[in-house]
Formats: sequence, C-alpha cells, structure tokens
Amino acid sequence: MLNDLEKKRYSRQIRLFGEDGQKRLKKTGAFIAGAGGLGSVISIYMAAAGFGMIRIVDCDSVELSNLNRQVLHWSDDVGRSKAGSAKDTLEGINPEIVVEALEETISRENIDQLLGGCDLIMDAMDNFSTRYILNKAALQKKIPLFHGAICGYQGQATTVIPGKTACLRCTFPRAPPVTTFPALGSTCGVIGSIQVTEAVKYVLGSGGLLENRLMLWDGLSSSMDEVACTRNPSCQDCREAGLERKDD
Amino acid sequence: MKIAMPDGSRKEMTVSVASIEEILKDLHINPVEVVVAKNGKIVPEEETASSADELKIVRVVHGG
Repeated sequence: MLNDLEKKRYSRQIRLFGEDGQKRLKKTGAFIAGAGGLGSVISIYMAAAGFGMIRIVDCDSVELSNLNRQVLHWSDDVGRSKAGSAKDTLEGINPEIVVEALEETISRENIDQLLGGCDLIMDAMDNFSTRYILNKAALQKKIPLFHGAICGYQGQATTVIPGKTACLRCTFPRAPPVTTFPALGSTCGVIGSIQVTEAVKYVLGSGGLLENRLMLWDGLSSSMDEVACTRNPSCQDCREAGLERKDD
Repeated sequence: MKIAMPDGSRKEMTVSVASIEEILKDLHINPVEVVVAKNGKIVPEEETASSADELKIVRVVHGG
C-alpha cells in the first residue's frame, strides 16, 4: 500500500511503471556493499526511487580525499563512520523507507547474516576478494548481484542472475591486482546509475538486463561497448552452489 | 589478427594460431589484469585464436 505522500513523491515513477511497480520497489530489500563512490550513487538513487529497505555496509570512516566522489558524505562528515553518515543522508532523502547502515567488514563469516531479508545485492566494493564473497552468497541464495567497478574514466557493469547467467567468477576468474585507483565522481555516477537501473528493471520484470553482457564505459572517448560473457562449465563458485552448467 | 588494445588503440598481429596466453605474453600484457574477448565473447586464456579472429583486450577495473 502506498500512502498519499508516497503517491505524490513517486508520481513521476508511477507514470513510468504504475502503482503496482512502485509497490514492488517498496517491498524490495536491497543490500549495498560499500558506501564509497559507487555506493553513494547507488544508495542515493535507490533511496530516492523508494526501495523499501536499504541495508548499506561499510567499515571505513569518511576522509577528506573521499569527497570528490562519495556524494553521500559531506565536509562536516569527515571523521564520522561512513555508515552513520550514509544513514543520515539517505533518511534525509527519503524518510518513507527503512535504512539500515552497518559499520562492518564484509566477510565469509558474516555475509549470510548481513544479507538476511535482502532480495538483491548491489556491488559497490573496491576489491575483488570481497566481490567473490558477494558472488558466492548470491549464487547460494539465488538472488541477483549487480556488479559495477570503476577506475579513472573507465567503468564496467554486468548483472548476475544465479543459474541463468555467467557469475562474477565465470567472467573474472582471477582478481586483478589491488592498487590505489584514480577515481572521478562522474564515472561512479555513470556506473552506479546503470546498476540501479538494472535493479529497478529486475524488480519490475521489465526491459532487458545486462545478462551475460559486460558493459564497458570509456569516459575519455565517451563511448559504451560490451562483450559477451558465458557460464564457465568448470566455475568453482557455480559448482559449489550446485549451479554448474551441464549442457556441455 | 586484429586486436583492440586496452588503451583503445588497434594492432594487427601476424600469427597463424596461438593461445590467448601466448598472445598476451607477446604483447607484454599481464593476463591477471585483463579479460580477452574473441569475436565479441570473453574466452579463457587456453583458447586459441587464428588470423581471422578479432580480439578485444579489456583491462579489468576493480575500484568502487
């Protein structure tokens, strides 16, 4: 049920996908892994769009050098936990939703508990070792994982639907080396916005998703490209989740 | 073989058949940092490519 304030708040979206679509968003719990550059864009747009429950997790505190891109956090937030800062910002954007912000490090040990009650996972991490934890959890729980990553002007995104598409490990069998990456806020804006659009379409069952497609954004040439991904029959993560491809 | 490099430049390589792993080695590209699409589809390093194939080497980004 949408109250009168919600009907007014979401009126432009209701024109797009009706009250039923808006109710679907309201019923959806989103897990956002990270409250950095991508997590800022993702959480702000998901909160504004009316995803009913947002659980955002980050273990760090806000630093001055974050503020060029992490638009959840403002100058006065430097030194605060990103989780606390995120909660204040998101509740300010939309008091109609439930925001749970946790100051935690995502690990193999706590991921099941962290994901409780969530219907989808938004990847806003800055490293592949944690992404692989999210990937395994998505496969085991059979919930979608919306992947995004950035570096400088470049970004990539794909959507993992367990059992249907290539998983993150199928596409990226090995983690790239961890480096201090250059980051432009607007690149986070492009990729985070794509991830949220994917999540909205998934919930509504509309349009075409980035299934088995790795989208590539090059901000330097202002061009989008994509390459196809396929499920890897020998993927360890798929096998462990009982989702191995058996057709070849 | 036509190759799109991670920086957007293009190369032509004269090779009859070679594995992706060998091609990356020839190009001095660390395989851990990239994925390679052959004719538009990401393939494992063990896969071979021939002169008629088009490769796109994509640098994997990890930041958030």
